[in-house]
Amino acid sequence: MLICILAILFVFVWRWDRLYIKIRKLLLDGKTNDFDVWGSFLTQQGIFDISEMNTLTYCIGIFSNDELIATGALATNVLKYIVIDPQFRCEGKTFNRILSDLINKAATMNIFHLLVSTKLIYQKSFEYVGFKKIVSTNQGLLLEKGPQTIDDFISHIKKVENQTLKKVAAIVMNANPFTKGHRYLVEKAAMKNDLVYVFIVNQNVSLFTTAERIKMAQNGLSDLTNVIVVNGGDYIISYATFPAYFIQQDELKVTYQSSIDALIFKKYFAHKLNICNRYVGSEPYSTTTNSYNQVLKAELPPEVRVTEILRISTNAGKIITATDVRKAISENKLYDIYQLVPEATFEFIKSNFKILQKRLKGMKINEY
Amino acid sequence: MNIKKTAIAGTLESSDIQIMLSENGGKGIDIILESSVKKQFGDQIEKVIGNVLDKFGITDARVNAVDKGALDCVIKARTITAVQRALEIVDKPNWEVL
Repeated sequence: MLICILAILFVFVWRWDRLYIKIRKLLLDGKTNDFDVWGSFLTQQGIFDISEMNTLTYCIGIFSNDELIATGALATNVLKYIVIDPQFRCEGKTFNRILSDLINKAATMNIFHLLVSTKLIYQKSFEYVGFKKIVSTNQGLLLEKGPQTIDDFISHIKKVENQTLKKVAAIVMNANPFTKGHRYLVEKAAMKNDLVYVFIVNQNVSLFTTAERIKMAQNGLSDLTNVIVVNGGDYIISYATFPAYFIQQDELKVTYQSSIDALIFKKYFAHKLNICNRYVGSEPYSTTTNSYNQVLKAELPPEVRVTEILRISTNAGKIITATDVRKAISENKLYDIYQLVPEATFEFIKSNFKILQKRLKGMKINEY
Repeated sequence: MNIKKTAIAGTLESSDIQIMLSENGGKGIDIILESSVKKQFGDQIEKVIGNVLDKFGITDARVNAVDKGALDCVIKARTITAVQRALEIVDKPNWEVL
């Protein structure tokens, strides 16, 4: 009897840390000390960039004896900050536990398609839990898991007859909002090609929602019969979505994100839709967009040509940008907008002027 | 029976299996299995999943399964749960299948 109790006690003490492993949600809003604990754990594990933090929608921590030993987070459908103390990896057990929790949590929010951007050395770990590689560079790779893959996504995009024999071009835009500048770019492409795909970036972080931006582009292009407007889904302009916090040097981050985006475009979209020309507007103002254009020029040829079109100006000689439109909205100058945007966009802005101004409050105009 | 929404059941922990069930656009039953013992037990795992779908009368589904060494009874249980969630019949289980 006594031996029995002693044996149980022994096991209890011996495996104390295992028994005391707890998993719980972390609140990073600053009301508890979770944020400090989380931040210093990441620093300890060599992650210094926590700028992605405000995109997170759910974050969990695993504790052993009240000490954080592993974490993982969701930013809507993108997994981020999956970090485990090497001492507690237990041949993938901890990793699988975190992934289970995140996947099931996402499912309760009706999100089944998940993406993760990570270092090359973790490719296998994610593949063992059902992720599939989309593309990779020297710095990292992008994987997805879910009922639908990128191939399914592309197979659902509208096509025309004999597309493989046609001259097909593509343009990617945020159209926030759709301006005369965008219209000019599409017109140029539509004149020189049989078919033009206009991919609209699918992210609701802009002033105009994705649905509004798609509607504006469709209305502003409805007279061009060889243009198809497509929602870019999870796969176009990934550099805004996919984190690069695991890459140390800042200059490598943007290149990594842009390369991933360019490779997805080339390997899947261009390949499957027979796109051989990508049109971009010249970028005199934004350095990020400019370096993105440079990456496109480096990655896409020879399969896909990159054509840079000079942006058009107003009568006063100023280049038309969507930023100026947003600025005019915030400065309450509705009629300044008239010369910058097509009829359809103007009508939309006019009838939603108050709502848009309300949304703009608290947003940085340059960013959104 | 048609799948009403994508559903998931199970975990990625040892001895468990994670089953994700979604529509397959009329292409029949597709089972995409990830398992470290796929070579030895892949056919058996797919058979157990297929049997459950059969009993519920599901003819069109994509199954993404990640197996971590689950026994047949576990595979069956997780598949049943995923099906019930996908068919939205969690509160009225099909006793004949169970």
